[in-house]
Amino acid sequence: MNRTRILPLLCLLACGGGVAPPQQHIPLPSGAQLKPYDPANPGEARPLYTAQLGGRVYATLSNARAQGNFVVTAGPGFLAGIDPFSGNVDLIDLGGSDEHQCTNPGVVRVDSGKLYVACSGDFSGSTPGRGVFEVDPNGKTVSRGLVTPEGFVPSGVAVTATRVWLGDSATPHLISVDRATFAMADGSDPAHPPIPVTCPTTGQFPFVPYVGIVAGDLYALCATTEAGVLGRFDAQTGAAKGSVAVGAQPTEFAATGDGRIAVVNSNENTLTLVTPGATLTAQLALTFSSSTSTLQDVKARGQLVYTVASGSNTVQKIDLAAAGGPKVVAEANTGLGSNPFNLEALDDDTVVVVNYATSDVVSRTLTTAQ
Amino acid sequence: MPRAFAALRRSIPLAPPAAQKKIIFFSAAAATALAVAAVPLLAHAEEARPQAEPQDIVVIGPTGSTRAPAAQSTVVEADKFAGEVRSVAEMLSTSPGVSVHALGGPGQATTLSLRGASADQSLVLLDGIPLHGPGGGAVDLATLPASLLDRLVISRGVLGAQFGAGALGGVVELVPVHPRGDRLQGEARLAAGSFGTFGASGSVAAPWASEGKGVFAVQVDRTGGAFPYDQQLTPEVAGSPYYEFTRENADAWRASTLLRAATPIASSTEVDLLFQGSLGDRGLPGSATAPTPRSRELDRSAMLGARVRGTAGPADVSARLWGDLDLIELRGVSAFGDCADGAPDCPRSHQSASALRGEVEAGVPLGETQWLRGTVAGGMDRATGDATGFHRRGVFSASVSDDVRLGALSVFPAARLDVVGQDVGVSPAVAATLRPWEEPIELRAGAGISFRAPSFSELYLQQGGLSPNPDLAPERARSIDAGIAWRTRKLTLSAGAFASWYRDLIVYELFPPAAVKPFNVGAARILGLELQAVAALPLGFAAELAYTALQATNTRPGTLEGHSLPYRPPHRLFVRLAHHAERFESFAEANWTASMPRNSFDTAFLPAQLLLNAGVGARVAGPLWIDLEAKNLLNDRTLQDLFQYPLPGFTLAVIARARL
Repeated sequence: MNRTRILPLLCLLACGGGVAPPQQHIPLPSGAQLKPYDPANPGEARPLYTAQLGGRVYATLSNARAQGNFVVTAGPGFLAGIDPFSGNVDLIDLGGSDEHQCTNPGVVRVDSGKLYVACSGDFSGSTPGRGVFEVDPNGKTVSRGLVTPEGFVPSGVAVTATRVWLGDSATPHLISVDRATFAMADGSDPAHPPIPVTCPTTGQFPFVPYVGIVAGDLYALCATTEAGVLGRFDAQTGAAKGSVAVGAQPTEFAATGDGRIAVVNSNENTLTLVTPGATLTAQLALTFSSSTSTLQDVKARGQLVYTVASGSNTVQKIDLAAAGGPKVVAEANTGLGSNPFNLEALDDDTVVVVNYATSDVVSRTLTTAQ
Repeated sequence: MPRAFAALRRSIPLAPPAAQKKIIFFSAAAATALAVAAVPLLAHAEEARPQAEPQDIVVIGPTGSTRAPAAQSTVVEADKFAGEVRSVAEMLSTSPGVSVHALGGPGQATTLSLRGASADQSLVLLDGIPLHGPGGGAVDLATLPASLLDRLVISRGVLGAQFGAGALGGVVELVPVHPRGDRLQGEARLAAGSFGTFGASGSVAAPWASEGKGVFAVQVDRTGGAFPYDQQLTPEVAGSPYYEFTRENADAWRASTLLRAATPIASSTEVDLLFQGSLGDRGLPGSATAPTPRSRELDRSAMLGARVRGTAGPADVSARLWGDLDLIELRGVSAFGDCADGAPDCPRSHQSASALRGEVEAGVPLGETQWLRGTVAGGMDRATGDATGFHRRGVFSASVSDDVRLGALSVFPAARLDVVGQDVGVSPAVAATLRPWEEPIELRAGAGISFRAPSFSELYLQQGGLSPNPDLAPERARSIDAGIAWRTRKLTLSAGAFASWYRDLIVYELFPPAAVKPFNVGAARILGLELQAVAALPLGFAAELAYTALQATNTRPGTLEGHSLPYRPPHRLFVRLAHHAERFESFAEANWTASMPRNSFDTAFLPAQLLLNAGVGARVAGPLWIDLEAKNLLNDRTLQDLFQYPLPGFTLAVIARARL
C-alpha cells in the first residue's frame, strides 16, 4: 500500500469515521526552493497541468515571474508531487545539470509508472529548455530527456508502449519519440517528417494545443481563434484516421467512461462530445453559463466530467447521464483571482485544483445538487 | 491551450480581442474624469427653463454652413442636467445611436460606441480638435470634464468626409462653455454623495479689453469608489447565492481646467485661444473575478489652440494652430495582474502621445443658394512609451464641401483626402434634406465612405502577450441612412434607419506559440433604427425618449459569419420626464439595455440592465439651488459592465449650485 494512503486509512479504522478529506489549501514552493537563475529575482511556482499517480497529484511548475507586463522564466521547470491529504510536496527538478534543460513545463502524462513532461522552453523553438522528459517518481529524478528539433515547441504529450507523441504549439504538426531509445522518430529528418494535423479552414495560425491516447488511438486537437478540429491517428504510425470539427479554440480533451471524448472549447464556452466510430462524430453537449469563462481543463471519471474555467475561477462537475442531457450538477469557486488551470478528481465528489495565479493547490467538494 | 496563452488570458480581462488590447492600453492610455462631473448651472433662476430639444446639426450662420451635416444627429444641452451628477458618458447615453461601455464605477475608463462601431471608430472633438488616447486609440470619456461643456453634438454615420479619417461610426463634438452676454458671470457648484464622492466646479466669464470675452472654468472631482456589489461565486448552479463584496482600489480624483478667450483684432477679425488641461489619479481595480488591488494609473493632458477668424469680402476664413499632449503612468501593473509598486519586478510604465496641427478653412458663397467650403490641414502625431517605443507620422488632409439650396431641397456633398502616415484615403459623402411642406416635416438622407488608419498601439504596442503588426492596413466603411423628422416648437419626433458595412477590420488573433496579434481580417454589417421624441409639456414638464435598435452581424467568411458582434446591445431605450419651475425642479428617467452577446459565438450574454434615476431640487435663496439625486433606484448590485467589472448599486448625491 502506498504510504500516502496509510494516514487516512488509519483514521478510518481508528476514528470510526470516513476518510479524512484532502487539505483545503496547500501552498506551493517558492523563492530559493525553485532554484532561481537570479537569486534576487525568484519566481513563483505557477502550476499548470496535472496528472495522478500513486496517490499523488503531479503538477508541472512553470517557475515564472513578472517583469512588468512580460512573463519571464525565473528558473528551471519543476514537477511537484503533491500529497493532497498530508499537504506534503516533493519537488522534482527538471532542469538537468545546468538547470536549463527544461523550462516552461506543460502537459504531464502518466504511463507505466513513469511521468512524461513536455517542456516548451522560451516558446521560440530555438533555445534550450524545450523537449520531452521522462521522470521516475520514485527516484524523483529525470531518467531520460530529449531536446526536440529546432522550430518545434512542444505543447502536449501522449504516450503509447512504443511512442511518445508531442504536439507543436507553433505549427499544426505532431512529432514522435521512440520510447525504447528515446530518440526522435517522426520529425527526426526529412525522411521522417513531422505529421501534419487536420486543422480548421477558418481562422488564422492553427496550432496543436493538446494530444492524448484514447482507446489505443492517438488524438490531437488543432485550434484557431474561431474554430477547432479533433483528429485521430494511428498511435504507432501516425497515419491519419479521420477528424471532426469541435468548438472554437479547444484546449484539452478527456476520455469519458462511456467511450466518448469530451472536449472543452475555450473561446466558444462549450463542451463537445465526440463519438469514435468508423468516423468521428461530434455533438454540442453543453453551453456553459455566460459568467463562466476561459475553459481550460477537462477530466473524466465514469459518467462524470470535470472542467476548469480559469477566467471565472470555477470548477464544474458535469453528469453526462443527467435527465435531459449533460448538465452541470455541481460547481465550486477556487478563490478570486486564483486562475485555476487543471484539476484531478480524487473521487466523484472531491477534486484537487492547481491555481496558476496564486501558486497553490486547493481541494473542493463537488457534491451533486439534488 | 498552451500555457503561454493561459498566462496571456490571466493578464488580459476576458474580452473580444479588439477590446482586449484597448483594456490593456486604457490602463496606459487616456486620462479620466470622475462621474461626479459638474454640469453648467441653470440659466437665470427666475426663468422657467425649457428642456432641450434636438437641434439640427447644421448651424446656419449668416455666412452659410459651418460644416456639411450628417443625416442623423442629436444635440444634448449640458444645461439640461443642471442639478444632476452627470458624466460626459451619461449625457451622451441619452442620445439614440450611442452605447457607452464603462469599466466599472465612477472615475473608471469609459468608451463610446456610435452605431455599433468600436470605440476606435468614432471621433471625439473638443471645440473641433480631435481627442485621442495616448496610443492614438479611443478616448476615455471619463477623462472629460462635463462641467466645462456647453453642449454635445452627436453625429452618426460614416463621416470621414465631413470630420476626417476615423469617423466610421460617427462623431461627438464637445462644445466648451463660452461667455454669454457682456457682463461678468459666474457659476459655482458643489456635490457630495455616496462612496466618498465629492465634486466642485466653477466658472467665470467676463468681457475684457474692448470687445473681448473670456471664460475660465475649473472642475475637481474625487470618489472613494468603495461601493458594495453582489456576485455569484458559482453561477452554473441554479439558484446559486449572491455574496456581497466591496469594490477595492476604485478611488479616483481629477482636476480639469478650461480657458477660452476671444477678442476682435480688426473690424471683422477675431482671435480666440483655448486651453484645456487635466490631471488625475485613479486605482485600477480589475474585474470582479480577478481584482488588482495594487494597480494605479496617473495621467496628465493638455491642449492648446489658437485661431484667427475673419472675413475677406464675401468669404469667411479661419486659420488655426493646435497641439495636445497626453501622459500616462501605470503603477503596480504586471503580467499576473498587479504587483507592489516599487518592487524590482514591478517597473512603472509610461506612455505619451502628442499631436500638432495647423489648419486653414475658408468658405465662400456662390450666389444666393450655395456655400462652398474648403479646408487644408497638416501636422504630426507622435507616440512614445515603454511598450511602443518612439513613433511619429505626418498627417495631412484637404477637404471640400458644398451646401446647395434648391428650394425645399438642400444637398451637402463633401469629399476629403486624408494622409495618415503611409495610409492615404479619399472619403466622399453626400447628405440631403428635404422640406416638402416647409415646416414641420423634414426628410433626411446621407451616405458616406471612409477609413480609419491603424493606431500607434495597433501598429507598435508590445505588451506582455500582445504583439504589434506594423503592416496593418486601414479599416474601411461605408454607410447609408435616411430619416424623417417632425419639428415644432413643442414637439420633435425623429426616426431614422441606417446600414453600415465594414471591411478590413483589425481583429486580434492568436499568434502561436505565445501571443495575440492584430490583423485586418474582420468584416461586419450593422443595421439600425433610431427613434427620438422630445416634447415640451404644459406646466413646465418636458419628456424625451431615445430608442436604438441594432443588428450587428459578423460577415467575416468562416465560422463567425452570421454571428452577432459582441458588446452591441440589440435594443437601448432611454426615457426621461423632467419638470422645471421657478423654484422647484425634478426628473425621473429610465435607461434600459437589452441582453447582448459577450462573445463572438452567441454562446455567452450580458444580462439586460435597467437603471432608474430620479432627483428633486429647490431654489432655496436667491440663485442658490439645492438638488438631491438618486441613481439606480432599484439598487441592483449585480450589474456588471462589459468585462465583468461591477457597477455600483443605489447612490445618492446632494448638489448645491448657483449662477450669478
